[in-house]
This record gives sequence, C-alpha cells and structure tokens, in this order.
Amino acid sequence: MSPGLSDIIRTFKMPGLILYMAWSDIRARYKRSILGPLWITLSTAIGVVGLGFIWSELFHMDRATFIPMLTIGLILWQFMSACIVESTSVFSKQGNIIRNLNLPIALHPAQLVLRHIINLGHNIPLFIIVALIMGRTFNAYTFMIVPALVLVIANLYWISMMLGTLGARFRDLEYLVSMIMPLLMFLSPVMYRANALPKLGKYMWMNPLADMIEIVRYPLLGEATPALTYAINIGMLIVGGSLTYLLFNAKRNRIAFWV
Amino acid sequence: MTALLQFENVTIQYPIYNSRNMSLRNQLVRISTGGRIENDAGHIQLVTALRNASFTINHGDSVALIGHNGAGKSTLLRTMAGVYTPALGTVVRQGRVATVLELGTGMDPELSGYENITRMSMLLGVSKQQIAENALEIAAFTQLGDFLALPVRTYSSGMATRLMFAVATSTKPDILLVDEMFGTGDAEFQHQAKKRMEDLIRSVGIFVFASHNNDLVKTYCKRFFFLEHGVVKEIAKDEIDGLVGG
Repeated sequence: MSPGLSDIIRTFKMPGLILYMAWSDIRARYKRSILGPLWITLSTAIGVVGLGFIWSELFHMDRATFIPMLTIGLILWQFMSACIVESTSVFSKQGNIIRNLNLPIALHPAQLVLRHIINLGHNIPLFIIVALIMGRTFNAYTFMIVPALVLVIANLYWISMMLGTLGARFRDLEYLVSMIMPLLMFLSPVMYRANALPKLGKYMWMNPLADMIEIVRYPLLGEATPALTYAINIGMLIVGGSLTYLLFNAKRNRIAFWV
Repeated sequence: MTALLQFENVTIQYPIYNSRNMSLRNQLVRISTGGRIENDAGHIQLVTALRNASFTINHGDSVALIGHNGAGKSTLLRTMAGVYTPALGTVVRQGRVATVLELGTGMDPELSGYENITRMSMLLGVSKQQIAENALEIAAFTQLGDFLALPVRTYSSGMATRLMFAVATSTKPDILLVDEMFGTGDAEFQHQAKKRMEDLIRSVGIFVFASHNNDLVKTYCKRFFFLEHGVVKEIAKDEIDGLVGG
C-alpha cells in the first residue's frame, strides 16, 4: 500500500489516542489558570462587545443584525486561523514523537484540528447567548450548520496536512503564514459581509476563507446558503484534498528525516 | 506471535538541510535565477547512514549493535522500529515493537505524573485498561508516591528519569529496541533499572541493544553487529574488544 494511504488509514484507526492527546494538550495549556479554557470564551466575548458596539455605529448597522454576524465571524476566524497558523509547525513541534515512535504522522494534524474544535466548542455558548439577547430565532436552515461544519473541518484537515508537510521542509513558511493571517482577516468577511462592499463584494466568493466563513454563517443567521458556497467548499475539499494526498504520499517517508 | 526482523539490502540516506536550503527564499531564488545559483542553493548533502544492510533476526535472538559514535546505530534502531523508511531495500517486521530510544517521548511537564503515565503509555499503544494496571506497578517501581499527583515540572531530573524509564519499560512488546540509557540516576536506581531491564529482555521475542558498554552487551546479547560508516557486519563475541576497545 502507498505510504500516504496506509498512514492515513492507521491514523483513523486510533480516534481514542487523538482525542486523548488533544484533550491533554488543552489541560496542560490551562493547568495553572483558574478560568482555564473559559479564557477562550471570555476573550471572544470581550471582542464581540467591544467591536460590536463601536463598529455597528461606525458601519451604521443595526446592532441586532451586526453583533450576531460579527460573533460568528470572530469565532470562526479564531478557529480557522489558529488551525492554519499552527499547522505550519505541526510536524516539527512533534519531532520527538515522530523520531521515536512508529506512529502514523497524519495523527498530528488531526490532533491539532481536534484541539481547536474543542476550543471552538467553548465559544458556542457565547453565540447562543448573543443570539438570544439580540432576539435571533433559529429555523429550518439552522440545521445546515452540521454539513457546513463537517465541510469546514475536512477542509482544515487537508490544509493542516499540506502546510504541515511544506512547513517541515521549508521552515520560513511558519513565519510567512503567521505574518499573512492578520492581513487576511481584513480581506475576509469576518467583521462585515460581502454585500457591504459595493464594488469588490461580488468577487468575494473567490476568497476560499470567505466561503468557509459564510457556509457556517448563513445557517446560523437562519438564511439559506447559496449553492455556490457549497460548490466551492466541496470543490476545495476535492481539489485540495487530492493535491495534499499526492504531496503527503510522496513525502510521508521523508518527514521523519526533516523534523 | 513469533517476532521477526528481516532486512534485505537496506540503504538509508538522509538529507542534511541547513538554513539555506531549508528556506523558501532560496527555492524561490533558484526558480527566478535559473541555473546560476543552482550549484550553491540546490546542493543538499546526503548522508548515507546505512549501506546495503542485510540480515535476519529471529524470535529468541538478542542482538547488540556496537560501533563508534555516528556509525549508524541509532539510525539502524529507528529503521527497525519503522520510524525511518529505507530509500532502497525492504524491511520485514513481525510483532509489536517498543522502543526505548530517547526517554520521555510525549511527556508534558505541566501535567501530573499520573497523567503523563497515561499520555506516554497511550502513545506506546497500551490500552486504557492496561494503563490503569501498569500505573500501580509504575508507582511502586518509581517510588514516587504522592509526587505522581504533582506536575512533572516539580520533579528533580532523577525523579523524571525514573518515571520515563518505568513507562518506557512497562509495555510487553514482541520486539524491544533499546538505545544505550543505563547510567542515569543514582546507584540504587541503576541497580533497580538493571533488574527491570533483565526481566523485560527475558519476556520479549527479539531484543536489540545499541551500546558502547562491552560488558553489558556481552551479558545480554548473543549476536553482535558491528557498524562502521553505515555498514553492518556480524562478528563473533570475542572479536568485540579488538574492534571497539574496552
């Protein structure tokens, strides 16, 4: 069997290990703090309140519309950018494990994404509170959040695998990506929606990060998701997933020498 | 399960990247300038750590890897473990492998001793139920007592070594690969560690041990592989002292 495929199959046979490692990473990170992972919720909450009141006025937007939209944008951006930035060093940081144990290495991006899914979970109550305060109701479209999140997570997994593999070989990628991400935040509809841009708005679908945010945002705001958004997310998964598979398959056995 | 390790014409080469060819900039410069800088930036040093290694280790064998620093002992152990995949040749491996290469793989200093036992054991492929059983035995062996509930960062280096060693040797594999690691901790611990290793060695199908200590390898091993510049050569017991000195 090809090295990449057998590695990925072995990875998916050990969900218990991935979950335990992701969870224990979070425990280790917040070990000495009193609030622990609630800091994630708190920092997002402060962002939402602070930016929400100022920017809704700045953009002349109704708060009941603006603040839930902003909350989803910020929560999702935190999740996506953390996965993307950390993925560039996902293999090199786990070098000790890769060099000493015969474990599949696709495990490390999975552990990374899962860790951030757990972090994302800490922000969900915040969105529910905001939605309730702002009087947003949920409807049938809300259920589309499930396939939307599955697509976003699957896309983040291949992105982490690809950036992880490239980052293990080219160490500059780590700095490059962490430099670009804050800029991309302003180029993506995190704090606004594409229709707020009169000229450039119609090109926003070309930004893949925008499609990943919007596919989650439409259902949570109780709106129908355009077919184009699904098409792009699914297309990204197929094209990106295939390219990543080709890269990983070719380089899987070299990664142990690079880290 | 009958353990087996079979190498056939195995060659391991690895690239040494320095910051120049590790960086994206030089790869980009290479593209934009064509062949001009090619010789400089495109030059990647290849180290042949293992050359045409062929041997069979059967169930019941205990093998010593001896040779000078950098002769390829650790590379050979990692190839046996499946960490490194050979560029050429084939490796046949039957049985569950456990490695004692660098101690403390996966340890997190912020977590307690107990949590680290679980973490390191899970990485070694031990089941949750088995970990619970091992934890008692590890606690008894390490004599860390109540310290196991404290974060590992509060341990002295000797205490941390005890824990790492105990976890690494708590699994019952078919193939055990050990890089030299006797010689840590105080005299009492060394004595205990030696006994624990001996018990473990007796229980495994294949035992491979890389060491510079000729007395140790003669005690534990029946076959002797001498490595020099990545070439593996099997030698007799009485040839050892002549080759690597006492």
